[in-house]
Amino acid sequence: MNVHQYERYWLIAALVLIVAIIATVTYGAVGIGIAMIDDSEETVDPDALGEHERFSETGTHQVGENEYEVNVIAWQFSYEPGGSPDPPIEVPAGSEVTFYVTSEDVIHSFSVVGTNVNTMVIPGEVATMTVEFDEATEYGLLCNEYCGELHHDMEGEIIVHPEEEFDLFEIPAVDAPEQVDAGEEAEITVTLANERHQERSTTLAFEFDGDEQREDVTVDGESTEEVTFTVDTTDLEDDDYSWSVTVEDGMERTVDESGQLTVGEPEED
Amino acid sequence: MSTYVERFPAEAKVIRSAFYVSFVSLAIGALMGLLQTLHRTGMFEVFSEPGTYYTVLTTHGVFLVIAFTIWFLVGVFVWAVTTSLDRGVESLRFTWSWYGLMSLGTALAGIAILAGFVDDWPIVGDVSADVLFTFYAPLQAHPMFYLGLAIFIVGTWVAGVDWFRSWWVWKQENPDERIPLPTFMVLTTMLMWYIATLGVAVAVLAFLLPWSLGLLETVNPLLTRTLFWFFGHPVVYFWLMPAYMMWYLLLPKISGGRLFSDPLARVVFILFLILSVPTGIHHQYLDPGISEGFKFIAMTNTMFLLLPSLLTAFTVVASMEHGARQRGGEGHFGWLKALPWGNPAFTGMALAGLMFAAGGFSGMINAGMNINYLVHNSFWVPGHFHLTVGTAVALTFMASTYWFLPQLTGRKLFSRPLALVQVVLWFVGMTFMSNAMHRAGLLGIPRRTAEPWYDGFEFEAGVGSVGELNAQIALGGTLLTLSVAIFLVVVIGTALNGKSSEIETSVIPEPLSGPEDSPLVLDNLKLWTVIAVVLVVLAYTLPLASIIDRGGLLGPGGRAFPMSLDSLVVLAQLATEGALPR
Repeated sequence: MNVHQYERYWLIAALVLIVAIIATVTYGAVGIGIAMIDDSEETVDPDALGEHERFSETGTHQVGENEYEVNVIAWQFSYEPGGSPDPPIEVPAGSEVTFYVTSEDVIHSFSVVGTNVNTMVIPGEVATMTVEFDEATEYGLLCNEYCGELHHDMEGEIIVHPEEEFDLFEIPAVDAPEQVDAGEEAEITVTLANERHQERSTTLAFEFDGDEQREDVTVDGESTEEVTFTVDTTDLEDDDYSWSVTVEDGMERTVDESGQLTVGEPEED
Repeated sequence: MSTYVERFPAEAKVIRSAFYVSFVSLAIGALMGLLQTLHRTGMFEVFSEPGTYYTVLTTHGVFLVIAFTIWFLVGVFVWAVTTSLDRGVESLRFTWSWYGLMSLGTALAGIAILAGFVDDWPIVGDVSADVLFTFYAPLQAHPMFYLGLAIFIVGTWVAGVDWFRSWWVWKQENPDERIPLPTFMVLTTMLMWYIATLGVAVAVLAFLLPWSLGLLETVNPLLTRTLFWFFGHPVVYFWLMPAYMMWYLLLPKISGGRLFSDPLARVVFILFLILSVPTGIHHQYLDPGISEGFKFIAMTNTMFLLLPSLLTAFTVVASMEHGARQRGGEGHFGWLKALPWGNPAFTGMALAGLMFAAGGFSGMINAGMNINYLVHNSFWVPGHFHLTVGTAVALTFMASTYWFLPQLTGRKLFSRPLALVQVVLWFVGMTFMSNAMHRAGLLGIPRRTAEPWYDGFEFEAGVGSVGELNAQIALGGTLLTLSVAIFLVVVIGTALNGKSSEIETSVIPEPLSGPEDSPLVLDNLKLWTVIAVVLVVLAYTLPLASIIDRGGLLGPGGRAFPMSLDSLVVLAQLATEGALPR
């Protein structure tokens, strides 16, 4: 075949360019270790995420000394957690954070604005990405795949806290009487769980009938403490009273419980 | 006999009819493009109900990249086969039959999309297909949309049979001749198209159409999406190969010279045939459920697909230089001045080629598996493809129309200066729009979004501002729409033009290095088809098997989400409850 000399040079230069591009991509994957979204997770039933081991517990979980997992469900037209009406996603800086994202309806994306944290979210599949956020800051989160007529409203937020300020408290149980006789004391015992692997301190705020009691608590890593608040009903009239207990840990996500206490004889229906 | 219409009057009518459908689609699609740029940049609140944006976007995408491009290229292919074999079509009735099928398909899909502008129709109720060009399940369109698409594609298959048939009969009469280059280009493009459309045919006929009719309860969204991209990337070459054909055949001729190399042109089209399809997974770098290895294979194939385009760049420039030197051009770059810049067909195609170089570079970024994370589904991506399909293809088609129309009508082009203004205006408008789209994408601004402004955060521009980018996009979009309007004026003006003097001959001059220089094996279409199929099997068998094995043929569950939800209901829920129910 007759190929002009210049054309031959051009052909060689083109092949060198192509091989060089493939080499840089390969270096990015092998050398720097940029991982791709892959097929590491089993498929899930998008209609039964509530019963799924991982997605029945959305939000941030610590899984190792410096490792966290964040389980997120994308839906028309927000993220749980991340977007309204759920709180933002909260993670600590300087840790290894792995996102597990799936969809309960159509195809979305999970894209952290201004970064290369970007994945498709496909119903039935779980996208995973491991990220380290260097510093405490806030990121916007958006859906960049058309998902329906309010697609443009689908947004969220990721808040990166300083590692030393990051808390993962839960209130797994509250032991509270439903009724006490007038003049008796009522004891409300709150179980506070620290789901971080490190010892953490926080304040519990207990409110009863407009009065607040505060208690500083320190909980070992991955364990619980019980805190008891006592209500004196001596000066109270017979009635139904509301109480609430809130963890004041500085997180956007609110951890609280509330209930009612009937003082005196319960009203007969 | 000089002009095409004198040699083949019946075929000229077929081509004209195809071109006119193409141009009507262009007009509709371009109007939608204008509405989009004005709304999403915040320049004008075009839609009081932003959901309408997605009906407009679907119309823009499907009417331009399916109807405008494919209707135009089937016309070009009829021209290429009949002129280069020097024989009319074998059966006009057969030719009109694929024209009819394609028309029916266009009408059904087009009506389903346009019906989305009205919420409720008498008798049939809500009809819409706001699923965009990619129609990812479980978003669901009206069955008429899928049906129209399927019929349209079958129409193109029958058209391919028409051209193969012409070649077959010609070959019996000329057993020792090389396949003429234009016919060779048509046949290789159609072989690629047959392989590529298998993906979308299976997706639509086996899954989406029965599912939209209620015969299937669920589909596997990753599977139908992967089948879409099996087709969705090579369709790009279905648009591009006819544009290349114009650059190989018309551009050297109009430059005043001859094609540099016939053998290299054949090599380029063979490379497209064998490499176009096993690359589609590069659109799915960010998809969960597909392993990194499969993505890597698609990436490698994609990079080698740069080769035919880089070779084309050489051949086209070399042919233009040869033409310029025939016209008296001299010097290292001085020959550029000797090119026929006053000819809109030449200038349009040359500018399209120049922009394609820029589009090629942003495409290399997209294809880079890891850097893709930064730009995937951002505004960068439409910035890229408005340079490729939106300029390399669209501007080449419009520019070559200025050469074709006199050939097809026997009438002189209406206002050459206006046509020249049109192609330059396209270039200028696209420079503004595409450059700003690329930059906006780097800030994280998403594509396919009616109102890309958010409550919780803002996009931070390192250089300039989001407002400045939006202004450029709106300005560019307006200039582009104006350019289309001028194009339509020239087309209509020419069709109504009485004058018919001095039309150049339609004969394409012989290449400098002719087919006698190319090895016979290049014409062995069977061999190249087998290689193409083997590469597709290698690239797709395992990913498809893995997707089906993981999620099942019909997916791991889920529901359909018809895009015909009554928007008023949704808005009412938003207003009363402050948020959408789940």
